[in-house]
Amino acid sequence: MGILDKKLSLRHRNKMLIGVWEDEDQLVAAASELVHAGVHIHDIYTPYPVHGLDRIIGARRSKLARIAFFCAIIGFTLMTTMIWYMSVHDWPMNIGNKPVRFTPSWAPVMFEGTVLCTAFGMSFFFFWRNRLVHGIKNETLDIRQTDDRLIVAIETVPGMDEKSILNMMKNGGAIEMREFENGVQTVI
Amino acid sequence: MIHDSILRDRLVTGDKSASDVTRDIARPILNNPTTSWKIGFTMSLIFLGVFGVSLLYTLWTGIGVWNINKSVMWGWDITNFVFWVGIGHAGTLISAVLLLFRQKWRMSINRSAEAMTIFAVICAAMFPVFHMGRVWVGYWALPLPNAFGSLWVNFNSPLLWDVFAISTYFSVSLLFWYIGLIPDIATIRDKVKSKLGKKMYGFFSMGWTGSTRTWARYELVSLILAGLSTPLVLSVHTIVSTDFATSLVPGWHTTIFPPYFVAGAIFSGFGMVATLLVVARKVMNYENYITIGHLDAMTRIIMVTGSIVGIAYLTEFFIAWYSGNVYEQYAFANRAFGPYWWAYWSMMSCNLIAPQVFWLKWARTTPWFIFIMSIVVNVGMWFERFVIIVTSLHRDYLPSSWVMYSGSLTEIGLFLGTFGIFFTCFFLFAKFLPVINMSEIKSILRNRE
Repeated sequence: MGILDKKLSLRHRNKMLIGVWEDEDQLVAAASELVHAGVHIHDIYTPYPVHGLDRIIGARRSKLARIAFFCAIIGFTLMTTMIWYMSVHDWPMNIGNKPVRFTPSWAPVMFEGTVLCTAFGMSFFFFWRNRLVHGIKNETLDIRQTDDRLIVAIETVPGMDEKSILNMMKNGGAIEMREFENGVQTVI
Repeated sequence: MIHDSILRDRLVTGDKSASDVTRDIARPILNNPTTSWKIGFTMSLIFLGVFGVSLLYTLWTGIGVWNINKSVMWGWDITNFVFWVGIGHAGTLISAVLLLFRQKWRMSINRSAEAMTIFAVICAAMFPVFHMGRVWVGYWALPLPNAFGSLWVNFNSPLLWDVFAISTYFSVSLLFWYIGLIPDIATIRDKVKSKLGKKMYGFFSMGWTGSTRTWARYELVSLILAGLSTPLVLSVHTIVSTDFATSLVPGWHTTIFPPYFVAGAIFSGFGMVATLLVVARKVMNYENYITIGHLDAMTRIIMVTGSIVGIAYLTEFFIAWYSGNVYEQYAFANRAFGPYWWAYWSMMSCNLIAPQVFWLKWARTTPWFIFIMSIVVNVGMWFERFVIIVTSLHRDYLPSSWVMYSGSLTEIGLFLGTFGIFFTCFFLFAKFLPVINMSEIKSILRNRE
């Protein structure tokens, strides 16, 4: 598995059915119903985090916490080695006759370095995994998905009963429905 | 089952919908600047000019233009450094600590408080950097090898800890702020009309789409960053306090300094947040988002942290007496009744006595009064740092070294000038970025339990 989550890109996708919702409660209920009916929801785009949706669409639990811990170990090791090399190995200095080896006074710099490495390491991983790159082409399905609309995208597969899915969306409170194919959207 | 709360007041009033939130909060960005913005920005630029002139004079002539001397080698510069770093702390407290405590009221104020942190740390960093005198060799403070002019840095020194702490704090705060901004920048990207605006907001929104997968990871990354920032914010002011506490100067050499400094930092930071937001909510018409309830919550924190700081002042006095150390006893007697008695009593009145007024509900819910009190808190906290630094230094162990100290015109200019830096940055932020976190606010429009 590469680091970049390929599910986030809309390129090279089959035809998609797009449903637009206004109410988050209706959307959660409808999404849940669609998944129970065996429909694979590609993704749901919302202007704010709607809790529980990730589990409904079957997104896997993120490994970010483990990555953060790994970065913390790297940061801690780097800082400890750096201080040891400078203060003990390369040029030990007698300052007020204090010990030069592993003193508690190393703790602040070790701590700050660990935090810095963890925060940036984890965040860069987050950006990479989520296709968040400066200057990347914007792939929004609906300009209102960052404002007030909640968008459900369902990728069609051969033999899929599109009519019944559209019906379920309509009954679930979708205010608009569209088809998306080759970058073109058609209102249904 | 999810349902609307009947116990808690609504965090956003005025029956707003998600599109109302976008419209209200993006208004200053999408429209031309208002007259009040132009006046405020011009005033800030004037103060920025004062900073520029004072700094050029200092660099050209040397720091002899400051009134610091052999006994009072830290004067307004380090006072101002601690003052600004302290102000920065409220931003991280609101965004990180209150996030961990699931305090949803923070959502209306975290963005501006985080911005304030970044600008305040920039102001703070100016002072130790230019206090070095030969600022062009300032990079010697970094761990560089001997060939760059110094031996390796001394990892036993709190001044070096400061270099690491402040730079880490600035970098992590900036990262936290930026990650929080990405969904809102994407909203502006999809609203803005101009070509340049589309390009700029498009660049910084990093292709954000609001995918459910991204949101789930985004919330996790925010939570971990909050978990990292919480000990970080405590460590930063703890380290600043060790600049003093690890020395042998009477009045500085006390173990109470780290918690006392951290509480003071939160106190002063909330003072500045209140100063900014009481004005911003009125001028930018954000009264439905930054409600009286928010002001009430902030003033409660001001009252509690002010009381903690007050207890620390009294404890210091008690311990000085109880230690039986005559130098320590003299240092504290000199603070309260020596030549700088006015600074000490200004500090006591502003920080310990004045915030007690917030026991009254009227005081906690009256914006103009909160604004005045927030200024009082900031004046008091500046005096606290002045008292700690100057009254401990101006009377050395040798009476022949006793001197009086007051800031020179250049030092005053530099201090006032940092308000120019701070407010110029803040006005630019208010014009080009959403002052309130739109995506988080949209998630709490329904008062869910």
